[in-house]
Amino acid sequence: MVVGDISTGTEVLVIGAGPGGYVAAIRAAQRGLDTTLVERDAYGGTCLNHGCIPSKAYITASSLAHEAGSAEEMGIHADPAVDMSQMRSWKDDVVGRLTGGVEKLCKANGVNLIEGTARFKDDSSVRIEHGGEGQGSETVEFERCIVATGSRPVQIPGFEFADDPVWSSRDALAAESVPDELLVVGAGYIGMELSTAFAKLGADVTVVEMLEDVLPGYEDDVSNVVRKRAEELGIEFHFGEGASGWSPDGDDVVVETETEDGETSSYRADKVLVAVGRSPVTDTVDAENAGLETDEKGFFETDDRMRTSVDHIYAVGDVVADSPMLAHVGSKEGIVAAEHAAGEPAAYDAQAVPAAVFTDPEIGTVGMTESEAEEAGFTPAVGQMPFNASGRAMTTGHTEGFVRVVADEDSGFVLGGQIVGPEASELVAELALAVEMGATLEDVAGTVHTHPTLAEAVMEAAENARGEAIHTLNR
Amino acid sequence: MAIKEFKLPDVGEGVAEGELVTWHVAPGDTVEEDQVVAEVETDKALVDVPSPYNGTVSELRAEEGEMVPVGDVIITFEVEGEDGDEAASGEQEAESESEVESAAGDAQSADEDAEETTDTAETETQSGRVFASPSVRRLARELDVDIASVSGSGPSGRVTESDVRAAADSGADESDDSKSGGPRSVSFSGKSAVSKRGDAENGEVASGSTEAAGREKTLAAPATRRIADEEGVNIDDVPASEERDGEAFVSPEAVREYAQAQREAQAADAKALSEEAEAGEATAEAEAETGATAGGADSESGPAAGERVPYRGVRRAIGDQMERSKYTAPHVTHHDDVDVTELVELREDLKPLAAEQGVSLTYMPFVMKAVVAALKEFPYVNAQLDEENEEIVLRDEYNLGVATATDAGLMVPVVHGADGKGLSDLARDMSEKVEKARERKISREEMQGGTFTITNIGGIGGEYATPIINYPEVAILALGAIKEKPRVVDGDVVPRKVLTLSLSVDHRVVDGAVAAQFTNKVKEYLANPKLLMLE
Repeated sequence: MVVGDISTGTEVLVIGAGPGGYVAAIRAAQRGLDTTLVERDAYGGTCLNHGCIPSKAYITASSLAHEAGSAEEMGIHADPAVDMSQMRSWKDDVVGRLTGGVEKLCKANGVNLIEGTARFKDDSSVRIEHGGEGQGSETVEFERCIVATGSRPVQIPGFEFADDPVWSSRDALAAESVPDELLVVGAGYIGMELSTAFAKLGADVTVVEMLEDVLPGYEDDVSNVVRKRAEELGIEFHFGEGASGWSPDGDDVVVETETEDGETSSYRADKVLVAVGRSPVTDTVDAENAGLETDEKGFFETDDRMRTSVDHIYAVGDVVADSPMLAHVGSKEGIVAAEHAAGEPAAYDAQAVPAAVFTDPEIGTVGMTESEAEEAGFTPAVGQMPFNASGRAMTTGHTEGFVRVVADEDSGFVLGGQIVGPEASELVAELALAVEMGATLEDVAGTVHTHPTLAEAVMEAAENARGEAIHTLNR
Repeated sequence: MAIKEFKLPDVGEGVAEGELVTWHVAPGDTVEEDQVVAEVETDKALVDVPSPYNGTVSELRAEEGEMVPVGDVIITFEVEGEDGDEAASGEQEAESESEVESAAGDAQSADEDAEETTDTAETETQSGRVFASPSVRRLARELDVDIASVSGSGPSGRVTESDVRAAADSGADESDDSKSGGPRSVSFSGKSAVSKRGDAENGEVASGSTEAAGREKTLAAPATRRIADEEGVNIDDVPASEERDGEAFVSPEAVREYAQAQREAQAADAKALSEEAEAGEATAEAEAETGATAGGADSESGPAAGERVPYRGVRRAIGDQMERSKYTAPHVTHHDDVDVTELVELREDLKPLAAEQGVSLTYMPFVMKAVVAALKEFPYVNAQLDEENEEIVLRDEYNLGVATATDAGLMVPVVHGADGKGLSDLARDMSEKVEKARERKISREEMQGGTFTITNIGGIGGEYATPIINYPEVAILALGAIKEKPRVVDGDVVPRKVLTLSLSVDHRVVDGAVAAQFTNKVKEYLANPKLLMLE
């Protein structure tokens, strides 16, 4: 205790105001707990400030610009001019409204907000250092704590985000202009989303990826649709190459890559975007002081109540081991932690977590793939509906991709689904509900769907799996 | 023969658990319906737990002295002539009945769909997956049921809400060992359920039951709904008298019977409070001179030095209330004394007259009248702070609480409408309620709604005290003993009767100056009791 240090008490302390933390804080306060939320940077966390929201703003804007300029088939002749600084201020406005909303919601629910960096002193108190010289610190004692400190982009050796031409995803989303030539390291979902957006805004985009394809983790027929479209947009791919270093060359940079066999190549670009993944931010909280251990990658292990190895300290969101780094997962985990802290029998027992990739076209997946269902001991019944057989898809001008439903043949239970195509991120919600509710193929097929919509494809896929499809040939 | 379980019912609003004080039965005992089998003390009251069945006690699931959460099975009975397959325990009444029916309905529709429900158990173990909706999975956690072990009766073997409830009822043995590791949850029905049950054990829904059925949907004629409104009962809680289109249907008679049963249950509740109270030598008089033996437990049977005494029941309720008051309202106490020689004489004069009316006239009615008169002049003292709406509510009622020491601890019976009552009525009302409190026969209503409290600290000894405000009121007046003390009257030191006063106020609402002025007004009336004639 420092002389003059103020010590206050709270029932629940939440560290980090991202989608895991602020949701946990609001729910805890709704449950009548005295709740304090500490944030060192900006309310809304990565998702609202440097991730989902700004990237989707750019993706939408860039798609609009691109579509307007390539709709001649529909009889639209336009040559859109993109004012990047105006687009950026529009994006900032969207982000500002959302983060302001988070702050207001927290306050309206009675959450005490503190700005600063929280570090554990022991397992019942933290020291919160306020930003800036001479801003001081304070001690907060807690009964229960929820750690929701999120993640940050991974750096690779030789590429420091502090260097001007080297971008993290966060830098890319704060860019003031579109580079003429952009080199993207990594063809995972962040790399693919940003590559597509910058390509549509007029950049020449080159992607280098260590692995042999885009979007590792997705089935070939899904990722192929995305890669094909990216190539149509002019994105150039180099697989099997890892970025090994860069050097300045006038206003440009030259990036060196290397294959496994030691073959090197070099690429010239204005900027190099490194998008090779994210790592948990657990090194800022002095977790060891609270008796908390992290695994070798820095994650906290939790049980299904989101409790860490220290019973009254919870972890939610990107810091949790074996949990996908998705905002909606963090929020759900935050709710579980808050409700459990309030004495309720909450548990994280989602049967399936939907995920979306905002490439062109989009990908939406949930639950099991066919092979995963087989591995789990099911006899999969699979049904598919291509968007080129969908009336609505044709009227949008986007007919690439398909809806696939995977179910258990014996019982008919929907086990999962993969959608690649227009609005896949929205359509997957129906399959997520089906999986979560234990709905059967018959339930989905028997639900009347609006015509003409893309969602009809979900119904058709379910019918296809039952061998009763009308608009496609049954498999 | 069938085994019937009895769960600790929700014995009052917000009560989550109770201490099982005494068992009146042992395994093997034959019991009749309504026979008291146990006593349970909650933080509000000591209540009798009656048997819902005619039968034999088969097992006691809790030990004396154990804290039992509401909803836990505390005793099981062997009951004659029951269908052993019936899933619902008698205690579940209408709720479980409807669950079972819907479960049966689900199973039937599954059969109609020619789904192979028998295969699903295999499927579940195969994959480690359970097919059930999030709400059903949560229910399973609440009821401490391992959902993976529940076989589903829904389409394709999906686990339904009724499957989980049935598993919870049938697997109560296992549920004693908490598997989840999470905190236990307790659901509050908010209904008083201590007392008679209807004839639920015959498999029919008991129309006279006081148990809330708690359905989500109830069919009833508009006129029936109006009756329910008038009777102040929730139609979804009324046991259904029949079924239409697979939904519970409630008749006007069922509503009336349920409302009547509710009223009787409340009366029985109040009656049940009377157990165990031994006021002993304490008298009904709240006379300033009379000592009240607060916490004066019988030294022979009470705990001995060095023991640890559980902090429970009324003691904890008092503690919680005191803590809340002390940590919420900044207390300031104003002390003064008043020469009540004239009052002592007046009371001596009136006492025989009151006795003729069967009233034992103490000083308290005079103090109450003086307080009411002063409260009328200082409305902020007869107020409460509505923190949520940030308003000071000046009360237009004068309901005076009289703090009373009982064997169980401090209780505060309230004399409602003290402003409209004469001395005799005040004396009668107060002594009746104080008596009831000492015997623990007092109902909650009789201890609620106070606007100002008077406490009497002088009985055992001492002059002044800092009484703790009976939150959410804003002031409390403590009376010392009336003692003969030297006072200067017309230049001579003479012995006079002196009463000490300690007024604690919530400084958020009442400032020291107002406290002093209020006390002065009380003093004025007590020093010149003739003034009370005008009140």
